[in-house]
Amino acid sequence: MFHWLEKHPFFFAVGVFLTVAFAGLVTILPNFAQSSRPVIGTAPYSTLELAGRHVYIKNSCNACHSQLVRPFKSETDRYGHYSLSGEYAYDRPFLWGSKRTGPDLMRVGNYRTTDWHENHMKDPSGVVPGSIMPAYRWMFTNAADIDTAFAEQLTVAQFFSVPYNKPVPMRDGSTMVVKMGSSLADANVLALAEAKVIVEDMKDQDVKDAVANGKIPEIVALIAYLNSLK
Amino acid sequence: MNKIYLWGIVITVAMLGFTYMSVGMSEGGLNGDIVNMLTVAAAISLVVITVFVVIKYVRQMQTDTADGQLADEQWDGVGEYLNEVPKGWAIMFLLTMVWGMWYFIAGYPVNSYSQIGEYNEDVAVHNAKFEAQYASITGDRLVEMGESVFIAECKICHGLKADGIDGKAANLNQRIEAKTVKFAIENGSNNHLLGSEMPMPDRNGLFNTNTGSLITDAEIDVVSAYVANGMTGTGADVFVGTCAACHGEDGKGMEYVAPSVATFSPALVTNILNHGKKGAIGKMPAFDRLNAKQKEAVGAYITSLSN
Amino acid sequence: MENRPLEYDYTVTKMFMLTTIILGIVGMLIGVVLAFQMAYPELNLVLGEGLAEYTNFSRLRPLHTDAVIFGFTLSGIFSTWYYVGQRVLKVSMAESGFLMFIGKLHFWLYLVGVAAVVVSLFLGITTSKEYAEFEWPIDIAIVVVWVLFGISIFGLIGIRREKSLYISIWYYIATFLGIAMLYLFNNMEIPTILGESAAGESGIGAWYHSVSMYAGTNDAMVQWWYGHNAVAFGFTVPIVAMIYYFLPKESGQAIYSYKLSLLSFWGLMFVYLWAGGHHLLYSTVPDWVQTMGSIFSVILILPSWGSAINMLLTMKGEWQQVAASPLIKFMILASTFYMFSTLEGPIQAIKSVNAIAHFTDWIVGHVHDGTLGWVGFMIMAALFHMAPRVFKREIYSKSLMATQFWIQTLGIVLYFTSMWIAGITQGMMWRAHDEFGNLAYSFIDTVTILHPYYTIRGVGGLLYLVGFLMFSYNIYKTMSARPVEESELQSASPMGA
Ligand code: HEC
Ligand code: HEC
Ligand code: HEC
Ligand code: HEM
Ligand code: HEM
Ligand SMILES: [Ca+2]
Ligand SMILES: [Ca+2]
Ligand SMILES: [Cu+2]
Repeated sequence: MFHWLEKHPFFFAVGVFLTVAFAGLVTILPNFAQSSRPVIGTAPYSTLELAGRHVYIKNSCNACHSQLVRPFKSETDRYGHYSLSGEYAYDRPFLWGSKRTGPDLMRVGNYRTTDWHENHMKDPSGVVPGSIMPAYRWMFTNAADIDTAFAEQLTVAQFFSVPYNKPVPMRDGSTMVVKMGSSLADANVLALAEAKVIVEDMKDQDVKDAVANGKIPEIVALIAYLNSLK
Repeated sequence: MNKIYLWGIVITVAMLGFTYMSVGMSEGGLNGDIVNMLTVAAAISLVVITVFVVIKYVRQMQTDTADGQLADEQWDGVGEYLNEVPKGWAIMFLLTMVWGMWYFIAGYPVNSYSQIGEYNEDVAVHNAKFEAQYASITGDRLVEMGESVFIAECKICHGLKADGIDGKAANLNQRIEAKTVKFAIENGSNNHLLGSEMPMPDRNGLFNTNTGSLITDAEIDVVSAYVANGMTGTGADVFVGTCAACHGEDGKGMEYVAPSVATFSPALVTNILNHGKKGAIGKMPAFDRLNAKQKEAVGAYITSLSN
Repeated sequence: MENRPLEYDYTVTKMFMLTTIILGIVGMLIGVVLAFQMAYPELNLVLGEGLAEYTNFSRLRPLHTDAVIFGFTLSGIFSTWYYVGQRVLKVSMAESGFLMFIGKLHFWLYLVGVAAVVVSLFLGITTSKEYAEFEWPIDIAIVVVWVLFGISIFGLIGIRREKSLYISIWYYIATFLGIAMLYLFNNMEIPTILGESAAGESGIGAWYHSVSMYAGTNDAMVQWWYGHNAVAFGFTVPIVAMIYYFLPKESGQAIYSYKLSLLSFWGLMFVYLWAGGHHLLYSTVPDWVQTMGSIFSVILILPSWGSAINMLLTMKGEWQQVAASPLIKFMILASTFYMFSTLEGPIQAIKSVNAIAHFTDWIVGHVHDGTLGWVGFMIMAALFHMAPRVFKREIYSKSLMATQFWIQTLGIVLYFTSMWIAGITQGMMWRAHDEFGNLAYSFIDTVTILHPYYTIRGVGGLLYLVGFLMFSYNIYKTMSARPVEESELQSASPMGA
């Protein structure tokens, strides 16, 4: 049979394709729907947080940082509760990473704070002697892309029914509504309001001034995102 | 002995030596952790298997001559022998397939394993060991334990020497810095330092009974320096007149009324770790993932730093 | 007329040889920079504070991986395809104006794609998925390039004179089909300009931005089904295609066993695709998927080793060639490293070993055993073999080649031993608890301890790069070396001193 296939390229190719395609279906499909159901307490990203997530991706923080706490005592001691599938329901793309040159950041919002991030992103080894993380000083001047974040919110709400402007159940039994702007201008207003809360805890005067003038530097969005990781 | 075996052994020994060094260097090395053991065993077998399989085939290449029946076809001059597959390879392939099926169907069937279950068992064992050995330690041992927590969790912000890294976090070698005191007086304080909601008023609620009026800028500076200096120097009168009602004349605080500003205590640190703290320097996060004993221990360690 | 040998047309082969070399230099140079940045973080500022946004580790890392995978390796695959394809199918590209046109278009569009990738990655335009960083406009370009590659494969097969397909062709076909399927599914994404606000605005934000069709755990599953098999169909299958042609050809030996080729091929096709779960062990994907990934990874040793053993045994009775020819040395060491990394991979896929190895430098070590030792050596060997035949010149210098071999081998050894130790050390330190049941190390302790290993790795990488530059120089000089007679070129490649 094989020798026959080797003389009939079309059937050979079909044979290869079937052999190769089959495994993917069997492993990915069965749990597809179940794996993406959000757990209680997981809310979609706000506009500013999403813009921060884009900053995170733009700078490939995931090249050094994972966002996946594995169920080992040593990891839950270091990072907190192990990850649950539903916590990632609004993560497109997922950011688990595959290399921990730096620590896991899945729950970094629980044990690091705005002012610490500010110092650290500006000069990592000034805060953590021996750190090999690069400094990200340009983030203090580059403007965050709120528009694209808003476009993404619209897209995921439209195509994947991500619940913006709808009550989302929280762990304590309450509900929470993550707002999405009704227009681009509205979205920018919402993001700026979030940014103002963040800069209150920051020291850098240029960043504070920028936000006071209605501009949002990347660092503010990034910190909003890091703080949301809980 | 054949040169090639010698090389095999040299390479193997070198790799094993390196691995041993690396394991020996880390404290957590071969301490009976089954996962560590398996990893090292795996690393060793990786080298040994590759080296010796390659040697086997190189030896075969050295001694054998190419023969067997050639297939009729040729492609750009490349021919093929019709040799049988090597037996060892074929047998291993079959065995691994059988093993795979066995594993999946009979050995560790899909529904009888849960990684979370495994985790829960692991944690239970760990905690039981911990409880038995350390739940009741006190004194110097408690301080030592606290130091170990501090190094793993706190030094990132407070620095290895707990000096706050140039003002980026609180310097824990002294109870409090002048700017923190000043900040508390000017803005009040509401950090659950007593373990429950019990705010301190800001300067508009702080009367100096000596002068009969609200605390002044000059008095704030003086009293801040006084507290930061460990309740010595000038400013004692302001403190007694304004603060002692709540914090006590010696600054050591009063239960349910106000915390000590003269000394740390494990209880104070525990409260900070439970609720976090926002102040002049920045924000200190709460530490939910530490257990009560660990909080007490790190409290004891911090208390020991300023004594 | 009848007996005149076919005149093969190597125009497209030569074009892709050029990009193999250039993108190889670029990719590996960036690799060396990355390696030293991890040892000496000040190097994030190599070109000064102003350019740090573009020269820091995190911006450069995807450039490295994509330059060596989609630049160096893919060019090598294309260039050997346009060489091997013609010869084992016994047709010349010159016979079909259409295929010649497709071949050239393939190259030029590929070059446009490469340029777009470089620019977008420098700008930080990425979707973050490893080895699938590109945004949708580039995805489309890549699909077009791939379709052209497919037309070229099946077109050449369509007009072949050799009725049955040689083993290498099996593997090239599999490469084409495998990547086509994987790339399409992993890149299902929705451009965000499609979003429309309540106020009726649309086309908001960056036009090239998109969002993945899959969320969280599902995205991870699709990504590593892709990622693992990108290794299969990018770093394994096409490289096996090369060795099945170039080793017997260069040594003048016949393939040891057809049956072994057959079983290894179909075994590899079937088993590889199940093993992707080993990238997601102890994650939130279902336990059974993880177990499946683990088991199939172990089984995968055998079909992988099948090809390697077949290659080693092809040299039966011709042992002296390994000693005499640096070109054969490259190939034999490549297949040995192939065995090493396909044993290492399965070992790292065992769950309890992965508990330590995952996220550490041991994985990076494994990656480079495979890529430097197997992919890199094999592609360079292929180019060395092709050069005299496409340029009709002898290889400029044999001794340079031999020196290069030893320098690079030393480089690889330094690379993987240092990463092996670094990975195991770090993995164990992360797990360690002290006598009080507390974590024994803060994270930064596990970083600073790696400094010496990062330095050694950098040196190893530098040696490899130096070797690659020697290779490039040798090929470059070959183009102007002593001309050779076509008839001499049956097996062993002619080499100058
Ligand atoms: C070259 C690798 C590297 C890159 C790239 C990198 N980091 Fe880090 N990161 C580290 C290392 C190493 C540490 C641990 C030492 C330290 O805290 O500085 C760290 C620590 C951190 C921490 C502290 C986490 C904790 O638990 O202490 C945060 C937050 C962080 N990085 C965020 C980022 C962000 C955001 C980016 C991208 C913009 C980034 N990192 C890019 C290596 C990196
Ligand atoms: C009405 C009672 C009251 C008075 C008067 C008072 N305090 Fe306090 N003080 C408190 C309470 C209650 C807290 C704890 C608040 C909290 O939980 O954050 C506190 C907290 C503080 C802290 C913060 C400790 C820390 O670790 O950050 C400082 C410093 C302090 N007081 C200094 C003073 C000084 C100096 C004065 C006099 C000028 C003063 N207090 C007067 C009740 C008082
Ligand atoms: C993310 C950074 C960060 C981490 C991690 C951190 N701290 Fe802090 N800590 C701070 C900052 C900032 C302050 C100062 C708050 C202020 O402005 O008063 C502080 C204050 C404190 C104080 C209060 C000092 C005072 O004057 O009242 C104590 C006690 C303390 N930290 C203990 C700890 C312990 C114990 C740990 C580890 C288990 C720890 N911290 C981890 C940032 C941190
Ligand atoms: C039998 C064959 C192989 C198996 C079973 C295997 C298995 C593995 C495993 C378990 C990992 C680590 C996943 C993790 O914990 O992060 C890995 C990573 C990797 N392997 Fe292999 N491997 C094999 C062969 C190869 C070969 C031959 C190459 C390349 C030439 C290769 C390239 C890679 C790459 C690039 C990664 C890194 C993926 C990432 O970015 O995380 N592998 N492999
Ligand atoms: C001069 C030689 C090279 C050096 C010094 C080098 C160095 C590096 C470094 C430092 C990293 C990042 C590791 C980390 O994040 O911890 C890396 C990643 C990687 N390199 Fe190389 N590299 C070299 C050549 C190559 C070649 C030739 C290939 C492929 C053909 C390759 C493929 C990869 C891949 C796939 C990764 C990602 C690994 C992962 O995510 O696990 N490298 N390399
Ligand atoms: Ca990776
Ligand atoms: Ca894409
Ligand atoms: Cu894999």
